[in-house]
Amino acid sequence: MRGLAATFATLRKVGGSLTGAVGLVIVALVLSCALFAPWLATHNPDALDVMNRFSPPSGAHWLGTDQLGRDLYSRMVHGASVAMLVALSSIAMALTLGLALGILAAYLPARSERIVLIVFDVIASFPSLVLALAVVAVFGPSTLIVVIVVAVTLVPHFGRVARSQVLTLKSAPFLEAEKILGASWPRIVFFHVMPNILGPLVILASMDIPVVITIEAGLSFLGLGVRPPLASWGSLIQDGYQYLSDSWVPVVVSSVALGVATLGFTLFGEALRDAVDPRIGREHG
Amino acid sequence: MTGVATSSPPALVEIRDLVLEAATPRGTAHILRGVSLDIGRGRILGVVGESGSGKSSLASCLLKLLPSNMTRLTGSVRFDGTDLLPLPEGQMREWRGQRIAMIFQDPMTALNPLFTVATHLVDVLRRRHGDITRAQALERARAALVSVGIADADLRLQAYPHELSGGMRQRVMIAMALLVEPDLLLADEPTTALDATVEAQIVDLLDQLRRKLSGSIVFISHHLGLVAQLCDDVCVMYGGTVVETGPVDEVLAAPLHPYTRALLACEIEAHDEGGRLVSIPGEVQDPVAPHVACVFAPRCSHALDACRAGVPALRDLGGMRKVACIRAEEFA
Amino acid sequence: MQVDTARYLVSRLITTALIVFGAMVLLFALTSLVPGDPAAILLGPQATPEFSQRMINEMGLNQPIHVRLWRFFSNVLQGNLGIDIVSGKSVLKMILEVMPYTIALTFSAIVLAVLTGVPLGVYAATHRGSVLDNVLAFVSVAFIAVPSFVIAIFLLLIFAIWLDWLPVLGTSRSGDWLDEFRRMILPTAALAMGWIGFIARLVRTSMLEVMGENYIRTSRAYGLSERLITYKYALKNACIPTITILGLGIGRLLGGAVLIEIVFARPGLGRLIYSAISERNYPVVQGAVLVVVVIFVLVNLLVDLSYSVIDPRIRHAGASRRAGE
Repeated sequence: MRGLAATFATLRKVGGSLTGAVGLVIVALVLSCALFAPWLATHNPDALDVMNRFSPPSGAHWLGTDQLGRDLYSRMVHGASVAMLVALSSIAMALTLGLALGILAAYLPARSERIVLIVFDVIASFPSLVLALAVVAVFGPSTLIVVIVVAVTLVPHFGRVARSQVLTLKSAPFLEAEKILGASWPRIVFFHVMPNILGPLVILASMDIPVVITIEAGLSFLGLGVRPPLASWGSLIQDGYQYLSDSWVPVVVSSVALGVATLGFTLFGEALRDAVDPRIGREHG
Repeated sequence: MTGVATSSPPALVEIRDLVLEAATPRGTAHILRGVSLDIGRGRILGVVGESGSGKSSLASCLLKLLPSNMTRLTGSVRFDGTDLLPLPEGQMREWRGQRIAMIFQDPMTALNPLFTVATHLVDVLRRRHGDITRAQALERARAALVSVGIADADLRLQAYPHELSGGMRQRVMIAMALLVEPDLLLADEPTTALDATVEAQIVDLLDQLRRKLSGSIVFISHHLGLVAQLCDDVCVMYGGTVVETGPVDEVLAAPLHPYTRALLACEIEAHDEGGRLVSIPGEVQDPVAPHVACVFAPRCSHALDACRAGVPALRDLGGMRKVACIRAEEFA
Repeated sequence: MQVDTARYLVSRLITTALIVFGAMVLLFALTSLVPGDPAAILLGPQATPEFSQRMINEMGLNQPIHVRLWRFFSNVLQGNLGIDIVSGKSVLKMILEVMPYTIALTFSAIVLAVLTGVPLGVYAATHRGSVLDNVLAFVSVAFIAVPSFVIAIFLLLIFAIWLDWLPVLGTSRSGDWLDEFRRMILPTAALAMGWIGFIARLVRTSMLEVMGENYIRTSRAYGLSERLITYKYALKNACIPTITILGLGIGRLLGGAVLIEIVFARPGLGRLIYSAISERNYPVVQGAVLVVVVIFVLVNLLVDLSYSVIDPRIRHAGASRRAGE
């Protein structure tokens, strides 16, 4: 209950600033589309209607149709689900793995710790998109692959932050006290270490959502991302781009959706960070 | 130079009714509540007070390096006849680093970590003497470092601030101030941030230098003992006001303001007991509170109702001594 | 002091080499992890017996792992990145042909972003609350948040299609210098746009923070001119956080370059990797990705080293930036 009250208080703070409020509204909008897509959409996003391809916005099709006559508005709304699905699952995955590895690295002896750090560095030495491309090249495109590889690119970041948080915490007096009282190692980690470092990490994770959305959109734009029938905004942009000469509406609609979503999550993430602790992830930019 | 000046030459700096206010979340803070003060030519003035007394702000006002939340600055600060307060920033800049120089409290952060000592000093010199060449500036900088007791001056010139100890950095700051050859040197608690042994060295240095310096010096400190050692005159501040001024020997021998007496008593006790934590009962006045009575009244053991009824004026009691207390004569 | 710098340099070089080594192992591992008949999977529909055999021989897929690993490393170190299965051309040669385009694009974008962003940031810091400052506040977030390929598509739409001011796709066929330049404008702008606002905002924040520092107060107290304080002293101090963030953004920049090459149909490493993936041309993918990683790592190294050039404290501490995290 206390956590809930604190969450609402934080959200109020976020909504206090102009940028925070805008971000909050957009995030709420995107999340609603993601969750309630089947109800918010006017048509089945995969329903073909080739006779009506490239029709302009109208009463029947609020934003018009694409090259196969599919309703753009519905496809856009469902795109939100895809974006959220990929973003939230890969971040959850990366957070779990990064947390585990980070805590491990903080407690391991120096040699093993260095190995973990070098693994982090190796993964981080690949620009995210390029690593994703390499993996997709070998394993072929699929939604699962996208989620996994994006998660992997985020692990070094979370891992390092988790590790440094634990290191700062290690010397904290209350931890020393627990150790002296004979608390077991797993107990210390789960009940004392994790709750304290989870906060900043969650904030960092929410700031990474736009990054994930962007990578996934980029991959889908290249046709190497999520597979049909799932249609991400990236694939919508690709479709629109290919048929730019026929109509500019599809491209603009899907680009605006992607742009607004990433903008909204960025604003929200920064306002959230500022509301909780402005010092978090300073290097994150 | 101690002793009473008989026909006093005009003071170098005449401060009259200086008021400084700033906006804080809790309301308007009265940092300086009508300060009037003279800084004699060629004399060393010690400004003593607790933290929050406004002594550092006084120095900042002389340079007009004001906080960004400042809301009011009134009064007059006559430097050799010119009132500095109404001067626009561009003109004020002319005075800084030319006729006025300042040494700050914290040597650790006063120098830019990305630039060598040489760069700092040369830039200050070139600003002071527009036509000096870099080689000449370096030579003078080197000489200045030597004069403040830095051995290996050439080495230190090329050093970066983080390579120098706190004491050495403060010496560099003093050298910088000397290079300006200012008419007025402001030293804002130059030894507070240093270790005791280093502090003693710097105080010695200042003692030697003051004889060589032709201008006036304002030495700000919370430590009466240092002021007694180095200064000719003393100004005691409390709660943003001046409570007593006069030649240092006289004031310390016979303090007239209750606060000065209490301060002196603390110093003596501290000296005897070897500690520094002796204090005057009560708390420093909240700067946000309005100024309608004697600032010290809440903590004064001699306070009367009259003290709480109005602000006591800074009265001239003869012999260059001024006190802001209605009962001053009783303590003489 | 120079011993410290040398020691720092050497330790960073060793770390870098280790990382590249690790990246190579990772890339190699990716191939080995492919289940089933690697040649068939990697070549996909092109898996004619002839190609399959060529691939098997080329990649040594019929050899035990440690032999393959060794072959891979010795090949790379000799500059042999393999042979394109389909065309038979040397992968290295293919990469070197297109690499200049990618480097030119990325480099121009960085230069544009810095040359525009830094002055804007300094102006915003010295003229707080001005119109420009407020506009910048909004624009900077808006543009960095939106993916650069989206910006690219919009620029394409507006300037090349609707207004028809600039040539649209590809690089100059005539080799004419001016034409080449005109074709680079949109891609460079698209890549740089997000960063201009971001850098400006970053410089503004750093400058404002620096201006409040005690050492700037000292400079002011000695009457140094505002110009000297701003452009000689404060700017240098503000560079450090700026470079940090820029360094962290290089990865995104490279990723963006890949996508933008495809949007504008320009040759480059991005296009190369993309078409190689479609063709299941794994040696090319492997080689090109390796080159990108090496470039990325070298750039990061450069950024790290630039700290010691700017900040003498790091030079003398000799500690690596990463160790401090």
